[in-house]
Amino acid sequence: MSPRPHLIALAAIVVLGLLYAFGSKDAVTLDLVFTLFLYATLGQSWNWISGYAGNISFGHAIFFGCGAYAAALCTNAGLSPWLAVPAGALVAAALALVTGFPTLALRGHYFSIATIAVGALVDTYVRTQGWLGMANGFELPIKNGLGWLQFSDKGPYVALALGLFALVQLATLALERSRLGYYLRALRANHAAAASVGIDERRWKLIAFTSCATFAALAGVLYAQYTLFVDPPSTLALSISIDIALIGVVGGIGTLWGPLVGASVYVLLAKEVALRLGGSGKGYDLVIYGAIICLIAAWRPHGIVGSIIDALRRRRGAADVVSVQNPAEAA
Amino acid sequence: MTPLLEVRGLSKRFGSVRALDGVDFDAAQGELTGLIGPNGAGKSTAFGCIAGAMRPSGGSIRFASQEIAGLAYHRVARLGVGRTYQIVQTFADMTVLESVTTGALLRHPRVADARAHAEELLAFTGLAAKRDRLGRMLTIADKKRLEVARALATEPKLLLLDEVMAGLTPAECRDAVALLRRILERGVTVVMVEHVMEVLMPIAHHVVVIAAGKTIFSGAPAEAVRDPGVVAAYLGPPLEAAS
Repeated sequence: MSPRPHLIALAAIVVLGLLYAFGSKDAVTLDLVFTLFLYATLGQSWNWISGYAGNISFGHAIFFGCGAYAAALCTNAGLSPWLAVPAGALVAAALALVTGFPTLALRGHYFSIATIAVGALVDTYVRTQGWLGMANGFELPIKNGLGWLQFSDKGPYVALALGLFALVQLATLALERSRLGYYLRALRANHAAAASVGIDERRWKLIAFTSCATFAALAGVLYAQYTLFVDPPSTLALSISIDIALIGVVGGIGTLWGPLVGASVYVLLAKEVALRLGGSGKGYDLVIYGAIICLIAAWRPHGIVGSIIDALRRRRGAADVVSVQNPAEAA
Repeated sequence: MTPLLEVRGLSKRFGSVRALDGVDFDAAQGELTGLIGPNGAGKSTAFGCIAGAMRPSGGSIRFASQEIAGLAYHRVARLGVGRTYQIVQTFADMTVLESVTTGALLRHPRVADARAHAEELLAFTGLAAKRDRLGRMLTIADKKRLEVARALATEPKLLLLDEVMAGLTPAECRDAVALLRRILERGVTVVMVEHVMEVLMPIAHHVVVIAAGKTIFSGAPAEAVRDPGVVAAYLGPPLEAAS
């Protein structure tokens, strides 16, 4: 399959997104779009290890947290948060390597349980460390300009989030066409058969896990510079990890566009409900979102994008069968 | 010439059960060795140990003059041992072409090269027309064929086939035998477990019979069916001896 339609779609999203980011003055909607691309990036990061490779992670927030805390520490120390980009990515990659090595070859639910444990461990550790702000977290000093990754308008933030999403999307498109991508899908489908064709499970999954951890860390840097406040509940908590996982599941695990679709559902639903019902509707978005998750779990385990792909394949497959049964008709 | 595969005193225990209790056999370069025996004799366990899917409890497995007993599964594959499974293990959500490409990536790390190699093997195994079908949508005969193609894609020196004919119609069996002959022509050494004797006997160069975890016969196919020990293992002792 040619990558061209995906590249065109991505280019269209980038162009429209940039026009919007610098054209709109609607702060509420800009915030919405920023969150959308931030979550889509996190969802895609999760999708690498949990979608393509099939190891469902419930600890992905810790990699996001690595980036956010790195940015907060840098900015507070008077250093440019651009330094936090490699630093946060490196710490996240190291954390992924150390936690992935003993856990990635675990079968079934055990990897997921291990990621919850590691997430709780990191969360608790940070809450006890003075230099990491204990449970109270940090505020970031207010600066201005690209060098500080801080802007008076929301537009540049949206553009950066969009840029990060586009990079991760390109990386994922490359993944689907790479040896790593084939190997991850083979391992997800059948780890024993994968080993029988020479695939070293631990090696390839570690490569995927460390790579995607760095994507999440980059999102964390951007998030910290946007909210100017970092604490455990907003960057490390289990609830964030679960949000990331659900975005991936709702959109369609192991699909290129699933995370963006999942993030759109998540973000639009929250805002629509809040706008329409106001204060009296607080929490209704979660009720509806919960219902959508139940429906998908019960009826469409491949998620929204996965179901569309299935439907397309069925139509093509049906045509295939007809042509085999009636060769004359096909000719 | 030393055989490509030499198995000596191979044993495998599951708790107190001795699934393999001293299996010995050789597979000569370029030949087809048939591994037969009654149900539960330990044929698939022996395959699992040779391929590296299981760790043997004892004994030696030498492949191309190198000890491979206990080596990790993927490393044995890298050395040149390919296999298929008795119960097919397809990559359900991958297309036929993608599955075989995955196998070819072992020797051709660039996807484009691996794909070209896979296309060639699909033509060789007669799966070219089904290249875009998902693994899970294939018939059992095609799934088995796909497993053979996927294993061949790793360019093995030794191919372990575990009951590739089981469950096939007579016509499909004939196709499978034709494919097997073409594989041998490529110079690949084959060890196959098979229940369908009339299929195995004409094409095997050498037959090894396993019963209750031990090798009880090793020799020419025609002699195997006349060997009293083999007959007894399959059918029980002769009636006059029992009475």
